[in-house]
Amino acid sequence: MRIKFLVGLLLAAFLTGLFIVAAPVQAADPIKIGAILPLGDATGKDGIRSMELAVDEINKKGGVLGRKLELIVIDDEMKPDKGAAALDKLATVDKVDVFVGGMSSGVTMALIPGMKKYGKVTVWIGGASGKIEQALEGQDWFFHLHTWDYQQIAIFNQGWDEIAAKYPNIKQQRQFSAYEEGPFGTNGFKATKGIIEAKKFVIQGEAFKSAALGGGDYRSVLRHAKEFNPDIFTWVGYDKDAIPMLEQAKEIGFAPAVYVGSPPAWPVDFAKSPLNEAVVFYSMWNEAIKNVSKPSKAYSDAFHKKFNDAPTTYFGPLAYTNIMIVANAIKKAGTVEKAALIKALEATSYDSPTGDKFVFGKSKFINHQAYASPKIMQWQKGKVVVIWPFNIATGKLLYPFPAWDKR
Amino acid sequence: MKYWKYMIFAVCVLVAISLPKFLGVYPLQMLNIIFIYMALAVSWDMLLRSGQMSLGVAGFCGIGGYTTVLCTINLGLNPLVSILIGALLAGLIALLVGYAVLHLRLLYFAIVTLAVTEIFRILVRNFDITGGPEGIILPNAIFKGDAAGTYWLMLAIAVFTIILSWVFQKTRIHFALTSTANDEIVAASSGLNIFKYLVIVFVITSAIQGMVGGAYAQIYGFVTPESSFSVNFVLLPVTMVLLGGSNSTWGPVIGAVLLSVIAEALKLVIPYGHLLVYGIIMIVAILWLPGGIYGIFKKIGAKAHN
Repeated sequence: MRIKFLVGLLLAAFLTGLFIVAAPVQAADPIKIGAILPLGDATGKDGIRSMELAVDEINKKGGVLGRKLELIVIDDEMKPDKGAAALDKLATVDKVDVFVGGMSSGVTMALIPGMKKYGKVTVWIGGASGKIEQALEGQDWFFHLHTWDYQQIAIFNQGWDEIAAKYPNIKQQRQFSAYEEGPFGTNGFKATKGIIEAKKFVIQGEAFKSAALGGGDYRSVLRHAKEFNPDIFTWVGYDKDAIPMLEQAKEIGFAPAVYVGSPPAWPVDFAKSPLNEAVVFYSMWNEAIKNVSKPSKAYSDAFHKKFNDAPTTYFGPLAYTNIMIVANAIKKAGTVEKAALIKALEATSYDSPTGDKFVFGKSKFINHQAYASPKIMQWQKGKVVVIWPFNIATGKLLYPFPAWDKR
Repeated sequence: MKYWKYMIFAVCVLVAISLPKFLGVYPLQMLNIIFIYMALAVSWDMLLRSGQMSLGVAGFCGIGGYTTVLCTINLGLNPLVSILIGALLAGLIALLVGYAVLHLRLLYFAIVTLAVTEIFRILVRNFDITGGPEGIILPNAIFKGDAAGTYWLMLAIAVFTIILSWVFQKTRIHFALTSTANDEIVAASSGLNIFKYLVIVFVITSAIQGMVGGAYAQIYGFVTPESSFSVNFVLLPVTMVLLGGSNSTWGPVIGAVLLSVIAEALKLVIPYGHLLVYGIIMIVAILWLPGGIYGIFKKIGAKAHN
């Protein structure tokens, strides 16, 4: 009999818990913005802090349409199923007015059925896979604030073309790409290969297992790169690859004329590493941009003041932009009603802390895309210098990458 | 009293079937997640009862997922039929792998099954037909994303797995494999064809894992090498079995329900530190409950009986 009682008790507790979770919430006065981000990741941490910063700033000024903004955040844990559940909760339990956030492509893919089902206005900062763009073709409620993967590569190559045109001593005819074996690296290499070969240049690529995924020995790839003798050497991987890649390059005496790293974020202490000198990298934003961009300085100062810390990834200013664009559009529309809000979003013109003006236009498959332009930067004496685009450059390219024994 | 267990189970199933009438989309979505990992945990435990530990759960999930998506997109098959084909293919591959490697034991077998996952993950990443590293997105999720439909699908798979495990515990194969786990030499000298029984269980459990992977792909509408062969498909079920109690049907069921509910509840209450608290709870629970929660129930039941 005790077992029956225990089973009954457990079942009742479980079901009651679910009913409580499922209970409808009261109609709320604030305008609700539902965010989905990976809170255990540096991008999510920067993203959520920046969203909170933006919401605080807006609410201190009286909110939007006389109503406060309420940010409801759910951690997707970088798991597709958890992301889909988060979207359902935001839509049906919290009854948010707009979806924002996003980071990983895998999670975004799992959200697409839900996004389509609810058809709610979605202003998304993550999910760079071109497959996502195709899947969301014709969805007028979807606004994307990130480059698609193929666009990033094209923009970086445009950057090198402009740099080479300005500094004729810089060569780019022979390129070697070391890329992590996942979709992030593989897709990047595929797109780069097409562009480089179209320019009649020579490119060679080789995959490696990232230290973030249990790898960490790049000697074989680096030796092949050294034998190839490239004008530009690029590695595409994660922050954990940055220092061991440089240490092993030093170990085998590999010092290409241009050494490019392309992780989403650098290791926390990379600025202090003596190995960082002259390393070039790609990013949408770095704090160095505050020297040439007023919105970037305002954001950066406010972030430091509120959190006594610095954002480490471009998802910080991008998430701030995410909230500001939504708030401005609601203000302009005078309502959160879908059609009016879409129209107001389409008219967005926002000077972002990323150093870019966000204006929505068409990409290959969707009608609403605006993004922070990828930038070419370089570590010089422990600090970051913006090299390209030239209109926001804070310094010149240190060229060539100094030999290891001459540092 | 003999049939009270069946009665309770039948009532629970009936209650579960009726839940979409009372619950919103979010609780149903959470129940889907519970059922996904419940089916994986129970199927993983079924093989464990023979003393063999498969780390290929993610591999068979991925095979099922990719098969169902390819069947739906390229052959235009009904998603439900394609899920079954995914299960069959996962079972077939398990048959071939099983024949080759089921003479290995313990960690050797576990490592080989882990390698199977890695091999298939690399294969799908390198073929155009499987979408390469970016995978494939379905034009529509199964039942067009209807929460009740997907809930009933996952409920059906979970209930099927539980019944299969339950029935399996009363079969000759189970007793043969249990004796194998206890002492393989004695079992073999009794005339038992251990290899045949191991292959049968490995094929059945892998087919279930393929079916779950297929349903997962259809519910969330996509496959990618990283998501479909995710290590979560093996680590979470193993943790659920350890918490709930191994070598039983109900231990993994309890573990799946508790871990999923605790994980989600913690996330809602402690948005920024929930994974840390979750990890601590799991370590403490596993250290203090070596027989799992079901083990405690069994002890209480035995005391009550005495």
